[in-house]
Amino acid sequence: MEVTSLKLTNVTKVFPRKGRSAEWRAVENATFSTRPGEFVCILGPSGCGKSTLLNILSGLDDHYEGEATIFGKTVSETLESGIRVAYIFQEPRLMPWRTVRSNIEFALKTSGFVPSEWAGRIDRVLSLVELSKFADFYPLQLSGGMQQRASIARAFAIEPEVLLMDEPFSALDELTARRLRQQLLQIWGEFRSTVLFVTHNAFEATFLSDRILMMTRGPAARFCDEVELSDLPRPRSYEDVRVFETSRTVVQRLIGHIGNLDEH
Amino acid sequence: MMTGTERVCFCISIGRCHFGNEPFSGIGIYPSRNCEQSFAPHTEAGMMEHRSAMQAAKIAIKTAVAAREPEAMSSPSGRASSGRASGHGPGLGPGLGSGPALNAVAVGGTSAAAPVPATQPRAPAPDLSRFRQSLEIFLGENAITLLSMLSLVALWYLGSFVLPPSIMPAPHVVADILWTLMQAETIWSDVIITLGRIAAAFAIAMVVSLIVGFAMGISRVAERFLDVWVICLLTMPSLVLILTIYMIAGLNDRAAVLGAAVPVIPILSINIWQGVKGVDYKLIDMGKAYHATRGRIIRSIIAPQIAPIIVASARFGLGLAWKMVLFVELLGRSDGIGYRIEFYYQMFNMGAVLAHALLFLFIMLFLEVVVLGLLERRLFRWRPAQRNL
Repeated sequence: MEVTSLKLTNVTKVFPRKGRSAEWRAVENATFSTRPGEFVCILGPSGCGKSTLLNILSGLDDHYEGEATIFGKTVSETLESGIRVAYIFQEPRLMPWRTVRSNIEFALKTSGFVPSEWAGRIDRVLSLVELSKFADFYPLQLSGGMQQRASIARAFAIEPEVLLMDEPFSALDELTARRLRQQLLQIWGEFRSTVLFVTHNAFEATFLSDRILMMTRGPAARFCDEVELSDLPRPRSYEDVRVFETSRTVVQRLIGHIGNLDEH
Repeated sequence: MMTGTERVCFCISIGRCHFGNEPFSGIGIYPSRNCEQSFAPHTEAGMMEHRSAMQAAKIAIKTAVAAREPEAMSSPSGRASSGRASGHGPGLGPGLGSGPALNAVAVGGTSAAAPVPATQPRAPAPDLSRFRQSLEIFLGENAITLLSMLSLVALWYLGSFVLPPSIMPAPHVVADILWTLMQAETIWSDVIITLGRIAAAFAIAMVVSLIVGFAMGISRVAERFLDVWVICLLTMPSLVLILTIYMIAGLNDRAAVLGAAVPVIPILSINIWQGVKGVDYKLIDMGKAYHATRGRIIRSIIAPQIAPIIVASARFGLGLAWKMVLFVELLGRSDGIGYRIEFYYQMFNMGAVLAHALLFLFIMLFLEVVVLGLLERRLFRWRPAQRNL
């Protein structure tokens, strides 16, 4: 049997009606699985329930139908079994009253690393995101891009088996985002975590991932297509014509599924 | 109290003028012996009053202009200080020093009564230069505070000049009275009694407000239920609350403390409620996503967000409790600073009234600024320095 890192089986998420607003079927029968060490992007228009899937896999949301497992264990089991899951959000979500170092220490502590290992791990990840000099700065003293780099450092500090990323570069300017994408791939190359990366940017998805899963627009969003990109050689470059051409076909296939609407 | 004596009103006039291209506004306050006429500028007496008020406004404008442009006054202290500041520009803290320090000097020079803060010798003696430098840094950092205090004292002096001494004695007279009072023992026993009541009222108000505020911030049911209570208590005049509590519990210390605490509770509760509601849920989700336990989330993510609210509420609550304690003492106690103030007010001894108030002002300032202020600065080092909008 093939080993899967992440697996969703017929996951349906319905937000119950609240007050006057009707119930909202966010995701309908979502099924997919990933191999260990695979970089998978979920590509779809805004508001199609991509983040909902990440919240289910991270344990933030436990009201859903269907089955979600990480390395064969249900999400609630992973909390105890020592499988490390990291989450990089759209915003850095650093605690502003703690220094960068102390923010990473928080994640190391909750993931059960012994304090004697902390300094070494922090130094390593901070040098990977080129923030070594800023370890003792408070987040509000850093720029938005640096804060996001610190949150990437926090995620990799715990050496996660699974890394969930929710449009982490969408709030940054394009040049900063480009640099961070390259840095991300470089660090991922060292750690080889399974990455589930949610985005609405087709080029970003093509540049980063081994496989793209496309979702339709909500309500009742579902997976509608899959693009295998493992034949695109790594390391990839922004100037590479093949990356560009592939991203064009990805966009065309996406338009074929959801129609050329006002999104993007 | 005032029936039988002459009625005293203030005529406030606002004037504007231009200095170069910059408009300046000033507010002049002039005491009027006859309210009806001062508000009727068509009568001759009214016109006189109005003119005097305009004069006061002009003086105020001049002071403002002088504070902005020391050169304009061509006062020796203004010139000397501007030369000194430009000579030592880089030596001061980045962008902090020269401007505000100049202002302090200029105002000190124009308002005759205030002491001039910076009158060090112009020629730098080698052993004095270090002292001078630290003094300049101190002035640079605290110039605005210093200016603010000076303006307060200056306004008081202004009031004491235009009002009869029985109504507003000058600061130095009050300080003298205070000094005499401080030699006696009664004022200290009053201070201790009042401080005890403040501490008790503040503690009660803080504990109840924390419970109410947290309950309202966390639970929707509690929010709905307590909302009515908080609003009703908030709208009810403190006077009515205090009198009611005195009626129910009798004229005793317990009622006094309770009466001082109750009017503070709704205000603090609203503060804490809003603070708790403002906790960043995104950070809590971050903690959950990184598998933090419930206890760790409360300790490491929620508590640091609540702390500033509690410290701010404590500062605020302390100030309110002190006012309320004075009020309950005035209404139904025969000791404490509030009672003393009422007593001297009945005797029409404004000097002693102000002296008592001044002593307590110093004590509360110490508690407020030194104790709570230091705590706040220590707790919130991570906040970036405040920027001007």
